[in-house]
Amino acid sequence: MSRALIGVVKKEFIQILRDRNMIRIIFLMPVIQLLLFGYVVNIDVKNLSLDVYDFDRTHESRELVRSVGASGYFTPNDTIMALQHLEDNFKRSSSDMAIVIPPGFAHDLMNRENPSVSLITDGSNANQTAIGIGYMGRLMQIFISAYYGVSIPLDLRFDVLYNPEAESVYFMVPGIVATLLTMVTVMLTSMAIVRERELGTLEQLMVTPIKGRELLLGKLIPFAILGFLETIIALTFGVLWFQVPFVGSSVLLFALAGLYLVTPLGIGLFFSNVTSTQQQAMFFAWFFSVFAILTSGFFTPISNMPTWMQYLTYLNPMRYFIEITRAIMMKGAGLQDLVFQVVMLAIYGVAVFGLSAMRFSKRVS
Amino acid sequence: MRKIKFIAVKEFYHILRDPKSLAIAIAMPIIMTLLYGYAINLDIKNINIAIVDYDKTIESTELIDAFYASPYFSRPENPVSLSDPQAAMRSDDVTAVLYIRPGFAEKLRNGQTYELGMTVDGSDNNLGAAVMNYSKALVNTFILEHLPVGVEVPQVRLAIQNLYNPDLESSHFFVPGLVAIILMMISALLTSITIAREKETGTMEQLLTAPVTPWQILTGKIIPYIGLALLDAVLVLVAARLLFNVPFVGSQILLLGFALIYVATALSLGVLVSAMVKTQQVAMMLAMMLTMLPAVMLSGFIFAVKNMPVVLQLLSNVIPAKFFVTIIRGIALKGAGLDVLAMQGLYLIILMTVLMLIAGKKFTRRIA
Repeated sequence: MSRALIGVVKKEFIQILRDRNMIRIIFLMPVIQLLLFGYVVNIDVKNLSLDVYDFDRTHESRELVRSVGASGYFTPNDTIMALQHLEDNFKRSSSDMAIVIPPGFAHDLMNRENPSVSLITDGSNANQTAIGIGYMGRLMQIFISAYYGVSIPLDLRFDVLYNPEAESVYFMVPGIVATLLTMVTVMLTSMAIVRERELGTLEQLMVTPIKGRELLLGKLIPFAILGFLETIIALTFGVLWFQVPFVGSSVLLFALAGLYLVTPLGIGLFFSNVTSTQQQAMFFAWFFSVFAILTSGFFTPISNMPTWMQYLTYLNPMRYFIEITRAIMMKGAGLQDLVFQVVMLAIYGVAVFGLSAMRFSKRVS
Repeated sequence: MRKIKFIAVKEFYHILRDPKSLAIAIAMPIIMTLLYGYAINLDIKNINIAIVDYDKTIESTELIDAFYASPYFSRPENPVSLSDPQAAMRSDDVTAVLYIRPGFAEKLRNGQTYELGMTVDGSDNNLGAAVMNYSKALVNTFILEHLPVGVEVPQVRLAIQNLYNPDLESSHFFVPGLVAIILMMISALLTSITIAREKETGTMEQLLTAPVTPWQILTGKIIPYIGLALLDAVLVLVAARLLFNVPFVGSQILLLGFALIYVATALSLGVLVSAMVKTQQVAMMLAMMLTMLPAVMLSGFIFAVKNMPVVLQLLSNVIPAKFFVTIIRGIALKGAGLDVLAMQGLYLIILMTVLMLIAGKKFTRRIA
């Protein structure tokens, strides 16, 4: 490393860390992300509020409501209300479904006459409603089987691999690592170089005897280090606080993170080349982050997306890195399992970084 | 008033002078609606599962057909190796393997107890849970259709009526919430760097030597952005209507009125960020951290607030997006009126006032 390069790296670090708020953000961002994702991500449908309109008022109808409540999927609310208020509770979002048990329920049940029950739902939350209806159907079946003492002889036993405790945070942490690494490097890189241009200090740098290559590396190294720092904070916090298991090799993970990093740094560099103010750079970086996160499979499985969007995900370098982090951390995958992803990242790295670096040197000279 | 107007006009010119940023501020919300709307799909369908059939009877074939005929499951593209079915799980080709051991049909006919086995990739726990739920329901239906002769189970007939969204389209629920998220992010980002920019480029001193009070500066800075953010709101709403066919049952005027309060709240948050920091870089990072994740995670946009730990439920009450998510869903899907939603609007106004007060305090102290 030449002295000039060390000088630029030092200057850049001082500039980033001079602001107390920046230091706070760097340390807090991974922690806040982990806490939110760890405690909030939960699309288990349970505790649905269920308004009960019981017009039968028999032992059997109460037993039905009790068994529905005991399942944990529904929280029955059986304070007696008039039917015309049913919709008010939906509009206020204070209830999700309403069950209406007509008079004669117990009578039909005793005479084996297939009693009927109405379920009225607030269908606006489509996903939750569909799952709730499924639960209700099964609960009715369980209730009636128990009532007649019939047992269903077929059972399905599950054997869950990789994340048997069904902790969403275990699945989220590898994704958060990839997200942080991408966001921090793209945003900070793109803004740092434009900043010099906006404030007019880029010209000053150019008259110094620093070579274009040194200036480039000096600008990028600090952000690569910050990206790694974010990763380490997220991993450490995840392992210590949420006890996230780390099955695979951490050396392999960091080596591949290094390979991946070349691409977001190159993208940040590219944005700084095509923009002239920090505001523009920020918008570009922000847009890229949103695109990268949404099409990476971080939130929802890629197989769920429309076909055209599934093809689009192949353009997203983060997609491969998320697959890598998840496979290494959760399934203990080795390099031989990840050949495709690694090759794709290498191609992206060379192409993106090479092009932006060429453009950057041309602009500097 | 006149002084506020001057600052507003100045800020307005500032926006116009940078057409690149302006174009992005207008195009971005629409592109984001598209991306978010199509990318986040919580209806889990077409999950690849492998079925290993050692029974090879009519019944086992019927069970296999029942699985693959359902919209939830599909056949993997490549046949799974029988010696190591889990290899396909490691490489993400299948999410689950169902094993039908020998004796399935025989025991089914005789009404004897039988256990099917399924290995599930639990790494995405939500996907895993969906696989288990759907499989249980499928097996349940299957057994009711294949009860041994003479066994009869009466059933409770469930008459189902889904209000507001009878076809249970998940986008109708999801896209209105998306409007709240996008408006929050774009508004907060827009104002977060305005004051920081003046500080960084040294024009703040010039502004301060002018005979204006900090409050006039803050208010004047927000006004032009209200117009821009409202324009974004309209664009996103139109996109939601045209691209995702979200019904707008309720009053559009009422919705726009609430949207005005909401963007003003989000812009105030941006101003607060701006008043706190010195550089645009930090302002942007802070605005992102304060809006993107909390708005997505704590607003009830994807994850139901009532399923969260109590601490986070309390915290969700300072997230403006939470109130607007309820408002827009109420108006768009259920036709709710002011009578039902007045409280939510009031909360937003309180939040906005508090944010502006803190921003003013911070700003004044910075100057002094």
